[in-house]
Amino acid sequence: MNTLVFCCVALPFAVALVLYFTQLDRTRKLLVPAAVAVMALAAVIMGAHGTFRLEAETFLGLPLDSLFSMLDLLLLLYILGLGWKLGSRTVMGMTALQLIGLLYLKFVLADGSAPVTAFAPDGLSLIMVIIITVVGGLITIYGLGYMDIHEEHLHLRVSRKPRFFAIIFCFLGAMNGLVLSNNLSWMFFFWEVTTLCSYLLISHDQTKEANANAYRALWMNVLGGLAFVSAMLFIQKSLGTLSTEVVLHKMTAMDVKTTAMLLPFAFFCLAAFTKSAQVPFESWLCGAMVAPTPVSALLHSATMVKAGTYLLLRMAPAFADTTMSTIVALFGAFTFVGTCILAVSQSNAKKILAYSTIANLGLIIACVGINTAASMMAATTIIIYHSVSKGLLFMCVGAIEQRIGSRDIEDMRGLYSKMPRTAIITAIGIFTMMLPPFGMLIGKWMAIEAIARATQAMTPIIFFIALGSAFTVLFWARWAGILVSSANLHDRPAHGNPKATVMFALRSLCGLAVVFSFISPLVLETFVEPSVAGVYARLGLKTEGFIPGASLTGGAGYFWIYLLFILLGLGAWIAWKAARKVSNSAHSQPYFSGLTQEQAGQIGFKGPMNAFEPVRLSNFYLAQYFGEGTITRAIDIISTAFLIVLVGGLL
Amino acid sequence: MLSILSAVGGLILSPLVGGLLTGVDRRLTARLQSRLGPPLLQPFYDVFKLFGKEASVTNAWLVFSAYMTLISSALALLIFFMGGDLLLLFFVLTVGAVFQVVGALCVPSPYSNVGAQRELLLMLAYEPILILVFVGFAMCTGSFSIEAVFAQDQPLLLKMPLLFLALGYALTIKLRKSPFDISASHHGHQELVKGVQTEYSGPYLGIIELAHWLDLVLILGLCAMFWHTSVIGMATLVAASLFTEILIDNITARLTWQWMVQKRSLLLGMGLALVNLLWLYVA
Repeated sequence: MNTLVFCCVALPFAVALVLYFTQLDRTRKLLVPAAVAVMALAAVIMGAHGTFRLEAETFLGLPLDSLFSMLDLLLLLYILGLGWKLGSRTVMGMTALQLIGLLYLKFVLADGSAPVTAFAPDGLSLIMVIIITVVGGLITIYGLGYMDIHEEHLHLRVSRKPRFFAIIFCFLGAMNGLVLSNNLSWMFFFWEVTTLCSYLLISHDQTKEANANAYRALWMNVLGGLAFVSAMLFIQKSLGTLSTEVVLHKMTAMDVKTTAMLLPFAFFCLAAFTKSAQVPFESWLCGAMVAPTPVSALLHSATMVKAGTYLLLRMAPAFADTTMSTIVALFGAFTFVGTCILAVSQSNAKKILAYSTIANLGLIIACVGINTAASMMAATTIIIYHSVSKGLLFMCVGAIEQRIGSRDIEDMRGLYSKMPRTAIITAIGIFTMMLPPFGMLIGKWMAIEAIARATQAMTPIIFFIALGSAFTVLFWARWAGILVSSANLHDRPAHGNPKATVMFALRSLCGLAVVFSFISPLVLETFVEPSVAGVYARLGLKTEGFIPGASLTGGAGYFWIYLLFILLGLGAWIAWKAARKVSNSAHSQPYFSGLTQEQAGQIGFKGPMNAFEPVRLSNFYLAQYFGEGTITRAIDIISTAFLIVLVGGLL
Repeated sequence: MLSILSAVGGLILSPLVGGLLTGVDRRLTARLQSRLGPPLLQPFYDVFKLFGKEASVTNAWLVFSAYMTLISSALALLIFFMGGDLLLLFFVLTVGAVFQVVGALCVPSPYSNVGAQRELLLMLAYEPILILVFVGFAMCTGSFSIEAVFAQDQPLLLKMPLLFLALGYALTIKLRKSPFDISASHHGHQELVKGVQTEYSGPYLGIIELAHWLDLVLILGLCAMFWHTSVIGMATLVAASLFTEILIDNITARLTWQWMVQKRSLLLGMGLALVNLLWLYVA
């Protein structure tokens, strides 16, 4: 177990160090896949092994606890210096406050308290480790091919790839550390490392826009870090420990949860909301799209934003059955509907994906807020499938952008005739996000079931979710439709020679998305259910609302999912065959009331004076109703009000 | 096993029922407009003729979408007859709706593209209502299963009358009846030339028509669920819903798409549903 944890947490940092000093492309192309393979293997073995506890007091002869304290302080000093360099009082002030808080915690409050078990992952942590290493690893491999082309375009004198991949590996290691550690102050260290890494990665291209957006990401996440430190201070004060395990045990054993007891969790929520880019902090994640695509893919799917939801899911039992929990649920549901609406007005593919990520995180947070076993299962399921599908979609957009030079979905009209494989994979990615029988929808299904059985504030939450889902369908469906738009009957385009690593990553992740959906009952049974059931059993919580029917793992669940999968799959196959069979002689031009004209392979109208008028098409973006400029302000105000109620309501 | 067989049987009978109901619809509409109208079996003659025609297609994805639309409609109906999960039924319905949009978008034609955009707005209006109605069912019966509805001993209409109205509202949209037929309006010069369906012809238009019949049966089946305790009740509800739909179709003018997204139409149906949900929640 020692080795496995080492492989997941420490190894990436070591690899990062080596990569930083590796200028040779060839060495990098051997090292990265090898390291990813080792990490993924270790993660899968660890996951298969089940939950464990691991005491680790020293590392290479150094006492770990002091080591982490030192690292915490060094990291904060670095961020402080960064704030100084950027000339930002906000960052410096908040980091200084964190430093003071941390010093006070270490030397006054926690001095001489009982030692804490180093690693005590529960089922959720193990699921997260697998997602981080497998999905994150595939994105890193994709990055190999992507960054080659990226740097070709930029005409760099000295390649920045060593730095890029080094940071990415630090990021993966930090995420693994974050989900595995039991000690909150260790978790805080990794939390801050992800903040720093995301700052460095977003600003990677060093353009003015990149720097500005990276700065926004930094200050918002430093705010989250401040909330995290405050939470640790309050927890140490009220419960006298920083062990996640013990905290959860003590909190769930309480009959009446007083304000003082709940306050740290409100701060944890705040920290999680900033990291998961919930409204009103959504702008940092939308801004993060200026970074090279592997970064956006990583931030949105396997790492960073999932850290916030992980923290909330882990801490959720502590504030079950409180008004605070209901507020969290309402807040999540509001984020879901708000950002789904914002996504409708966007034609920038990365922005659509960004808003959809935030929306899905909102849905997860709504499930956390409902705080029943069924809703926890829904949240975990959505985390798994969202990571796979969203990582895939980002990588697709990156590959498309490098080929056609645009990330606007209007420019992807007829993409199937230019890059058929990528277009098909993108379309499959879109369908896995929104249609049955794919995993995301199963997650949403479970979420709606769980919400319908919620005890508090069910009606507004379900209303938000129902409305948001409809908007989701709107922006996904039109994107999928555009991709295959063409006036030719069968497109047979030439080979585009994509990079091997890019195609490999796209295909594997697409395969994972489909196969994992197909075995979803198995995934639910082996990972999701034991993870939630384990937590509930360990903490001795009532599993009221834990309905086997809702968990879809019973015989009936299997039956329906496979019936659906087989019949729909069969149907799609028949439809595909029928479509391929249509003979070329059946081809006709689109109907333009008899005024169709073709010129140089382009379809158009016969205009006035018999002039050729090419067809121009565009989607409705409804910016006058749903535009960012129109509603962002209102959303920000309402969500800020939620946050004030969340924290202020307790005081 | 028996339930699966009878469900498949029901599925096979459904196109007949759907076609007949469409025939009734056309007759009634004609009478409301002081016309005689076509024979009752005219929809069948039409579809048979369509299937006999030569295929003429702009893009192979159109064929794919036509089949997917039919398959999802059939699957949704199968789930309904098997007494399956209402949410599952809803999601499968979405597949059909999405492929109607994909089919319309895959041809570079302004008519079908505008139709697709309008269709998406229609979906925006009816999908939340359907979810809310199904949640209402779950609140009354304790489960999303259709079987659970038939285990109740009182008609659900008594508990959720407003949800029934909301469902009617959503179904008018789903069936693209006036005033919500903005995505597939017929007239050549001033309108959309059948919007989302512009580019379908021959056998593929026949497939779309067949899918529409199945949808009609499913929707009336959902209406019937509100009075499951007696056959007469079910028949009454179905007849009343159908007649009201036809009446409304004939006495209202078509909306503009702006009207769809503005507060009135989006929120009216949802408002009805919400009030009813709150009432169930409190009671």
